[in-house]
Amino acid sequence: MDLDFSILLNVWPALAAGAATTLKLTGAVLLAATPFGVALALLANSNRPLVGASIASVSWVMRGVPPLLILFFCFFGLPQLGITLEPFASAFLAMTAYMAFYFAEIFRSGLASVPAGQWQAARALGMSPLRTLVRIIIPQAIPAALPGFVSHATEILKGTALSAAVAVPELTSAARRVFAVTYKPFEIFIAAAIIYAFLDGLLLCIQLIGERWADRRRNRRAG
Amino acid sequence: MSKLDTLLTYAPDLWQGFFLTIWLTILTLVISLPFALAVALVRDAKIPVAKTVLAVFVNIFRMLPALLVLFFIFYGAPSLGIRLSPVTAAVIGMTVMAVAYMSEDIRGTLQSVDQRQYAASKALGLSYAHTIRRIILPQAIPVLIPPLMTRAIIVMKGTSIASFVSVAELTAQASRATSISFEPFIFLGLAGVGYLLIAGLLAILQFAAERHVRRRYRLKAGY
Repeated sequence: MDLDFSILLNVWPALAAGAATTLKLTGAVLLAATPFGVALALLANSNRPLVGASIASVSWVMRGVPPLLILFFCFFGLPQLGITLEPFASAFLAMTAYMAFYFAEIFRSGLASVPAGQWQAARALGMSPLRTLVRIIIPQAIPAALPGFVSHATEILKGTALSAAVAVPELTSAARRVFAVTYKPFEIFIAAAIIYAFLDGLLLCIQLIGERWADRRRNRRAG
Repeated sequence: MSKLDTLLTYAPDLWQGFFLTIWLTILTLVISLPFALAVALVRDAKIPVAKTVLAVFVNIFRMLPALLVLFFIFYGAPSLGIRLSPVTAAVIGMTVMAVAYMSEDIRGTLQSVDQRQYAASKALGLSYAHTIRRIILPQAIPVLIPPLMTRAIIVMKGTSIASFVSVAELTAQASRATSISFEPFIFLGLAGVGYLLIAGLLAILQFAAERHVRRRYRLKAGY
């Protein structure tokens, strides 16, 4: 086997376009699934047993079936209900629905790591529940939730490869298309792997920045 | 054709797909567990070169989408003169991914055992193999069961990507039946129920294993 990476000089535009689509899909899912995850975590923690139980059962279903199946459901199932989505939109919808429940679990344990006394103290000081949540609880929950959040963000990045099944031109499907033309599997898949590793690295940078921010914030308060 | 006829026509295919999914899951888990244990022990024992090489491999695979690894094996092997059937390629791909993730799970639990136990065993003249087998593993296994069963469910869900290389497992059968009959809700729904059944079985298995280990090692409830 001799590797000939000069092939990449011809095919890099296709891989770059795939990487751009992967990045766009990852970013869109991350931005949409995070607020939904927070909302689900807060709803699941609320005092209404029916709400909590229904979220728990939907969450069990969404986390128990393969994301690929959810994707097929959005792509093949929704048109029957009169909602026809483009491949990119259905991949976005499926992954957001899937990841929101994982994020909810992470945020719930993050919120649980903040002592209940903080809620009571804020209430005694006359703060509204929303203000307590935004100013007191969430800033303390972020350091606990951050590692889980970032590791699931990399799951989103890796999960976007599944959208190849509904013909979204993301990086893995771009690599397969380029392979089908060139028959150079190692060069092309290694190049795709390096791009994925680079994108993973970007997400880890978010974690490092977030941790430093949380540390600084804590030190400032202590000092 | 009525909905019932459609269902009956494709039910045998789905049934076969269901068993192939179970078979792929079991095969992947059974093959990857000993390898994962070996990788974790070599890295934990800090064997000079092997430790670094394994760390690099584990972290590379954890950065990549499983689908890319599968394509790499499926399309790459013929270039090396190896012919792989789709099922073999899928099992190899899923095993490589499972070993990477599972070895990290195992390493985490090995480190949760008090590190002074190694020194104590050494002081008592026990060999390294003896220490691992009789001292460390019995303490690590109870802690290991929950992450390992979570991993088993992830492996089970991950078998759906085998459909990309034309393995006729549950997701592939469901999407084939859907695209012929235009009945997405019946077949994708049934496939979802199938996956949830397997996830439920694994959860029962986890419960039984935890109870067994608690009795065997006479642990207090809640350990």
